[in-house]
Amino acid sequence: MLDLATAAPAVSAAFVASTVEVVEAFTIVLAVASLRGWRPALGGAGAALGVLAIVVVALGPLLSLVPLHALQLAIGILLLLFGLGWLRKAVLRASGLMALHDEDAIYERERSKIAADGVAALASFKAVLLEGLEVVFIVLAVGAGRGLMIPASIGALAAFVVVMAAGLLIHKPLARVPENTLKFAVGVMLSAFGVFWTSEGLGAPWPGGDLALFALAGAFLVVALTLVAILRPRVAEAAS
Amino acid sequence: MSVIAEVLEELWSMFVGDRRLTLLLLAVVGLAAVVAYVVLQPLLAAGIVLTGAVAVLADSVFEAARKSRPKA
Repeated sequence: MLDLATAAPAVSAAFVASTVEVVEAFTIVLAVASLRGWRPALGGAGAALGVLAIVVVALGPLLSLVPLHALQLAIGILLLLFGLGWLRKAVLRASGLMALHDEDAIYERERSKIAADGVAALASFKAVLLEGLEVVFIVLAVGAGRGLMIPASIGALAAFVVVMAAGLLIHKPLARVPENTLKFAVGVMLSAFGVFWTSEGLGAPWPGGDLALFALAGAFLVVALTLVAILRPRVAEAAS
Repeated sequence: MSVIAEVLEELWSMFVGDRRLTLLLLAVVGLAAVVAYVVLQPLLAAGIVLTGAVAVLADSVFEAARKSRPKA
Protein backbone atom coordinates (compact mmCIF):
# COMPACT_ATOMS: atom_id res chain seq x y z
CA MET A 1 0.00 0.00 0.00
CA LEU A 2 1.44 3.34 -1.04
CA ASP A 3 1.56 6.11 1.54
CA LEU A 4 0.96 9.77 0.76
CA ALA A 5 4.55 10.89 1.39
CA THR A 6 5.76 8.41 -1.25
CA ALA A 7 3.09 9.04 -3.87
CA ALA A 8 2.57 12.81 -3.46
CA PRO A 9 5.85 13.98 -5.07
CA ALA A 10 5.32 11.71 -8.10
CA VAL A 11 1.66 12.71 -8.54
CA SER A 12 2.30 16.45 -8.13
CA ALA A 13 5.42 16.49 -10.36
CA ALA A 14 3.61 14.56 -13.10
CA PHE A 15 0.51 16.78 -12.78
CA VAL A 16 2.31 20.14 -12.92
CA ALA A 17 4.76 19.11 -15.66
CA SER A 18 2.00 17.54 -17.74
CA THR A 19 -0.19 20.64 -17.33
CA VAL A 20 2.53 22.72 -19.00
CA GLU A 21 2.94 20.23 -21.86
CA VAL A 22 -0.81 19.77 -22.44
CA VAL A 23 -1.37 23.55 -22.49
CA GLU A 24 1.33 23.88 -25.17
CA ALA A 25 -0.17 21.09 -27.29
CA PHE A 26 -3.70 22.44 -26.81
CA THR A 27 -2.67 25.90 -28.11
CA ILE A 28 -1.53 24.43 -31.42
CA VAL A 29 -4.47 22.03 -31.78
CA LEU A 30 -6.81 24.99 -31.14
CA ALA A 31 -4.96 27.13 -33.71
CA VAL A 32 -5.43 24.34 -36.27
CA ALA A 33 -9.12 23.90 -35.37
CA SER A 34 -9.86 27.63 -35.57
CA LEU A 35 -8.48 27.85 -39.11
CA ARG A 36 -9.23 24.50 -40.72
CA GLY A 37 -11.91 22.98 -38.49
CA TRP A 38 -11.88 20.28 -35.83
CA ARG A 39 -11.51 17.35 -38.28
CA PRO A 40 -7.80 17.87 -39.16
CA ALA A 41 -7.06 19.13 -35.63
CA LEU A 42 -8.51 16.07 -33.90
CA GLY A 43 -7.32 13.70 -36.65
CA GLY A 44 -3.71 14.81 -36.16
CA ALA A 45 -4.02 14.77 -32.38
CA GLY A 46 -5.66 11.33 -32.41
CA ALA A 47 -2.94 9.86 -34.64
CA ALA A 48 -0.27 11.26 -32.30
CA LEU A 49 -2.03 9.78 -29.25
CA GLY A 50 -2.04 6.42 -31.08
CA VAL A 51 1.73 6.63 -31.66
CA LEU A 52 2.23 7.57 -28.01
CA ALA A 53 0.15 4.58 -26.88
CA ILE A 54 2.37 2.29 -28.99
CA VAL A 55 5.51 3.84 -27.43
CA VAL A 56 4.16 3.30 -23.90
CA VAL A 57 3.03 -0.29 -24.61
CA ALA A 58 6.44 -1.08 -26.16
CA LEU A 59 8.55 0.62 -23.48
CA GLY A 60 6.65 -0.54 -20.39
CA PRO A 61 7.68 -4.23 -20.42
CA LEU A 62 11.27 -3.35 -21.43
CA LEU A 63 11.74 -1.25 -18.29
CA SER A 64 11.05 -4.25 -16.05
CA LEU A 65 14.04 -6.04 -17.63
CA VAL A 66 16.53 -3.34 -16.52
CA PRO A 67 18.11 -3.81 -13.05
CA LEU A 68 16.64 -1.28 -10.58
CA HIS A 69 19.88 0.59 -9.73
CA ALA A 70 20.82 0.92 -13.42
CA LEU A 71 17.30 2.18 -14.20
CA GLN A 72 17.43 4.71 -11.33
CA LEU A 73 20.86 5.95 -12.45
CA ALA A 74 19.87 6.29 -16.12
CA ILE A 75 16.57 8.00 -15.27
CA GLY A 76 18.29 10.22 -12.71
CA ILE A 77 20.86 11.48 -15.21
CA LEU A 78 18.22 12.08 -17.90
CA LEU A 79 16.01 13.87 -15.35
CA LEU A 80 18.91 16.07 -14.27
CA LEU A 81 19.67 16.99 -17.88
CA PHE A 82 16.00 17.69 -18.57
CA GLY A 83 15.22 19.37 -15.23
CA LEU A 84 18.30 21.60 -15.07
CA GLY A 85 17.61 22.67 -18.68
CA TRP A 86 14.07 23.72 -17.68
CA LEU A 87 15.27 25.43 -14.52
CA ARG A 88 18.00 27.30 -16.42
CA LYS A 89 15.42 28.65 -18.89
CA ALA A 90 13.02 29.48 -16.05
CA VAL A 91 15.72 31.47 -14.20
CA LEU A 92 16.66 33.30 -17.41
CA ARG A 93 12.99 34.13 -18.08
CA ALA A 94 12.33 35.26 -14.50
CA SER A 95 15.40 37.51 -14.54
CA GLY A 96 14.43 39.10 -17.87
CA LEU A 97 17.23 37.59 -19.96
CA MET A 98 14.85 35.48 -22.04
CA ALA A 99 11.40 36.32 -23.39
CA LEU A 100 8.50 34.88 -21.39
CA HIS A 101 6.58 31.95 -22.90
CA ASP A 102 3.46 33.49 -24.47
CA GLU A 103 0.62 31.15 -25.57
CA ASP A 104 -1.21 33.98 -27.40
CA ALA A 105 1.88 34.71 -29.52
CA ILE A 106 2.41 31.00 -30.25
CA TYR A 107 -1.27 30.68 -31.22
CA GLU A 108 -0.99 33.53 -33.74
CA ARG A 109 2.32 32.22 -35.13
CA GLU A 110 0.86 28.74 -35.67
CA ARG A 111 -2.22 30.20 -37.37
CA SER A 112 -0.01 32.07 -39.83
CA LYS A 113 1.78 28.82 -40.80
CA ILE A 114 -1.31 26.71 -41.44
CA ALA A 115 -2.60 26.93 -44.99
CA ALA A 116 -3.99 23.54 -46.00
CA ASP A 117 -5.78 20.64 -44.30
CA GLY A 118 -2.76 18.34 -44.69
CA VAL A 119 -0.42 20.86 -43.11
CA ALA A 120 -2.99 21.54 -40.39
CA ALA A 121 -3.33 17.87 -39.43
CA LEU A 122 0.46 17.50 -39.45
CA ALA A 123 0.89 20.53 -37.19
CA SER A 124 -1.61 19.05 -34.74
CA PHE A 125 0.09 15.62 -34.97
CA LYS A 126 3.56 17.03 -34.31
CA ALA A 127 2.46 19.21 -31.41
CA VAL A 128 0.66 16.39 -29.60
CA LEU A 129 3.42 13.87 -30.35
CA LEU A 130 6.27 16.10 -29.14
CA GLU A 131 4.55 17.38 -26.03
CA GLY A 132 3.16 13.89 -25.39
CA LEU A 133 6.62 12.32 -25.57
CA GLU A 134 7.73 14.77 -22.88
CA VAL A 135 4.75 13.72 -20.73
CA VAL A 136 5.61 10.03 -21.27
CA PHE A 137 9.22 10.68 -20.27
CA ILE A 138 8.17 12.62 -17.16
CA VAL A 139 5.73 9.89 -16.07
CA LEU A 140 8.38 7.19 -16.63
CA ALA A 141 11.05 9.26 -14.92
CA VAL A 142 9.17 10.12 -11.75
CA GLY A 143 7.33 6.78 -11.59
CA ALA A 144 9.58 3.97 -12.78
CA GLY A 145 12.32 4.29 -10.16
CA ARG A 146 10.14 3.04 -7.31
CA GLY A 147 7.02 1.44 -8.74
CA LEU A 148 5.09 4.72 -8.84
CA MET A 149 3.92 4.46 -12.43
CA ILE A 150 0.23 4.42 -11.51
CA PRO A 151 0.33 7.54 -9.25
CA ALA A 152 2.46 9.38 -11.84
CA SER A 153 0.06 8.35 -14.64
CA ILE A 154 -2.89 9.57 -12.55
CA GLY A 155 -1.14 12.94 -12.15
CA ALA A 156 -0.60 13.23 -15.92
CA LEU A 157 -4.14 12.09 -16.72
CA ALA A 158 -5.58 14.62 -14.25
CA ALA A 159 -3.59 17.37 -15.99
CA PHE A 160 -4.97 16.28 -19.37
CA VAL A 161 -8.56 16.30 -18.07
CA VAL A 162 -8.21 19.68 -16.31
CA VAL A 163 -6.58 21.43 -19.29
CA MET A 164 -9.02 19.94 -21.82
CA ALA A 165 -12.01 20.90 -19.66
CA ALA A 166 -10.70 24.46 -19.22
CA GLY A 167 -9.81 24.74 -22.91
CA LEU A 168 -13.15 23.49 -24.17
CA LEU A 169 -14.92 25.80 -21.74
CA ILE A 170 -13.16 29.04 -22.69
CA HIS A 171 -12.30 28.01 -26.28
CA LYS A 172 -9.22 30.26 -26.38
CA PRO A 173 -5.48 29.69 -25.84
CA LEU A 174 -4.92 29.16 -22.13
CA ALA A 175 -2.78 32.27 -21.82
CA ARG A 176 -3.89 32.88 -18.24
CA VAL A 177 -2.34 29.65 -17.01
CA PRO A 178 0.76 30.89 -15.12
CA GLU A 179 2.94 28.84 -17.43
CA ASN A 180 6.23 30.54 -16.64
CA THR A 181 5.69 30.03 -12.91
CA LEU A 182 4.69 26.42 -13.52
CA LYS A 183 7.82 25.86 -15.61
CA PHE A 184 9.92 27.25 -12.74
CA ALA A 185 8.23 24.80 -10.36
CA VAL A 186 8.64 21.90 -12.80
CA GLY A 187 12.34 22.66 -13.24
CA VAL A 188 12.76 22.61 -9.46
CA MET A 189 10.85 19.33 -9.04
CA LEU A 190 12.51 17.48 -11.93
CA SER A 191 15.98 18.58 -10.78
CA ALA A 192 15.19 17.32 -7.26
CA PHE A 193 13.99 13.98 -8.65
CA GLY A 194 17.13 13.84 -10.81
CA VAL A 195 19.49 14.26 -7.85
CA PHE A 196 17.44 11.77 -5.82
CA TRP A 197 17.41 8.98 -8.46
CA THR A 198 21.02 9.53 -9.54
CA SER A 199 22.18 9.14 -5.93
CA GLU A 200 19.96 6.11 -5.33
CA GLY A 201 21.29 4.61 -8.56
CA LEU A 202 24.82 5.05 -7.20
CA GLY A 203 23.81 3.11 -4.09
CA ALA A 204 23.47 6.20 -1.88
CA PRO A 205 20.00 6.31 -0.34
CA TRP A 206 19.11 9.75 1.04
CA PRO A 207 18.53 10.16 4.79
CA GLY A 208 14.78 10.38 5.36
CA GLY A 209 13.94 8.35 2.26
CA ASP A 210 11.32 9.90 -0.03
CA LEU A 211 10.91 12.90 2.31
CA ALA A 212 14.39 13.98 1.16
CA LEU A 213 12.73 14.95 -2.14
CA PHE A 214 11.07 17.91 -0.41
CA ALA A 215 14.42 19.07 1.03
CA LEU A 216 16.11 18.69 -2.37
CA ALA A 217 13.32 20.65 -4.07
CA GLY A 218 13.66 23.34 -1.38
CA ALA A 219 17.39 23.56 -2.02
CA PHE A 220 16.92 23.95 -5.79
CA LEU A 221 14.18 26.54 -5.23
CA VAL A 222 16.43 28.64 -2.97
CA VAL A 223 19.34 28.44 -5.42
CA ALA A 224 17.15 29.31 -8.43
CA LEU A 225 15.52 32.28 -6.65
CA THR A 226 18.96 33.48 -5.53
CA LEU A 227 20.20 33.34 -9.13
CA VAL A 228 17.17 35.39 -10.24
CA ALA A 229 17.81 37.92 -7.46
CA ILE A 230 21.44 38.27 -8.57
CA LEU A 231 20.68 38.61 -12.28
CA ARG A 232 17.58 40.81 -12.21
CA PRO A 233 19.32 44.06 -11.10
CA ARG A 234 22.07 43.46 -13.67
CA VAL A 235 19.51 43.06 -16.45
CA ALA A 236 17.62 46.16 -15.29
CA GLU A 237 20.86 48.13 -15.14
CA ALA A 238 21.89 47.01 -18.64
CA ALA A 239 18.47 47.99 -19.99
CA SER A 240 18.51 51.51 -18.51
CA MET B 1 10.47 11.77 -43.01
CA SER B 2 10.92 15.36 -41.89
CA VAL B 3 8.43 14.73 -39.07
CA ILE B 4 10.58 11.88 -37.72
CA ALA B 5 13.70 14.03 -38.06
CA GLU B 6 11.99 16.88 -36.22
CA VAL B 7 10.82 14.56 -33.44
CA LEU B 8 14.32 13.10 -33.02
CA GLU B 9 15.83 16.58 -33.05
CA GLU B 10 13.36 17.69 -30.38
CA LEU B 11 14.13 14.63 -28.24
CA TRP B 12 17.86 15.31 -28.59
CA SER B 13 17.41 18.94 -27.57
CA MET B 14 15.35 17.84 -24.54
CA PHE B 15 18.48 16.37 -23.01
CA VAL B 16 21.38 17.99 -24.82
CA GLY B 17 19.99 21.46 -25.45
CA ASP B 18 23.01 23.05 -23.77
CA ARG B 19 26.20 21.11 -24.54
CA ARG B 20 28.24 22.75 -21.76
CA LEU B 21 25.58 21.91 -19.15
CA THR B 22 25.41 18.31 -20.40
CA LEU B 23 29.19 17.74 -20.35
CA LEU B 24 29.64 19.33 -16.92
CA LEU B 25 26.78 17.30 -15.48
CA LEU B 26 28.15 14.04 -16.88
CA ALA B 27 31.54 14.93 -15.34
CA VAL B 28 29.84 15.46 -11.95
CA VAL B 29 28.04 12.10 -12.18
CA GLY B 30 31.29 10.42 -13.26
CA LEU B 31 33.11 11.86 -10.23
CA ALA B 32 30.26 10.78 -7.95
CA ALA B 33 30.38 7.25 -9.43
CA VAL B 34 34.12 7.02 -8.66
CA VAL B 35 33.49 8.18 -5.09
CA ALA B 36 30.62 5.69 -4.68
CA TYR B 37 32.23 2.62 -6.24
CA VAL B 38 36.01 3.13 -5.82
CA VAL B 39 36.32 5.23 -2.66
CA LEU B 40 33.20 3.48 -1.28
CA GLN B 41 31.67 6.64 0.18
CA PRO B 42 28.10 6.60 -1.19
CA LEU B 43 26.82 9.44 1.01
CA LEU B 44 29.69 11.65 -0.14
CA ALA B 45 28.76 10.69 -3.71
CA ALA B 46 25.18 11.85 -3.09
CA GLY B 47 26.53 15.17 -1.77
CA ILE B 48 28.67 15.54 -4.89
CA VAL B 49 25.64 14.96 -7.13
CA LEU B 50 23.64 17.64 -5.30
CA THR B 51 26.36 20.31 -5.03
CA GLY B 52 27.58 19.50 -8.53
CA ALA B 53 24.10 19.87 -10.03
CA VAL B 54 23.63 23.22 -8.27
CA ALA B 55 27.05 24.40 -9.46
CA VAL B 56 26.31 23.29 -13.05
CA LEU B 57 23.00 25.20 -12.95
CA ALA B 58 24.70 28.37 -11.69
CA ASP B 59 27.47 28.06 -14.28
CA SER B 60 24.97 27.57 -17.09
CA VAL B 61 22.86 30.57 -16.01
CA PHE B 62 25.86 32.91 -15.63
CA GLU B 63 27.28 31.70 -18.96
CA ALA B 64 23.96 32.52 -20.67
CA ALA B 65 23.91 35.94 -18.95
CA ARG B 66 27.50 36.63 -20.07
CA LYS B 67 26.68 35.70 -23.68
CA SER B 68 23.56 37.87 -23.75
CA ARG B 69 25.44 40.95 -22.51
CA PRO B 70 26.15 43.36 -25.39
CA LYS B 71 29.85 43.78 -26.12
CA ALA B 72 31.35 47.20 -25.32
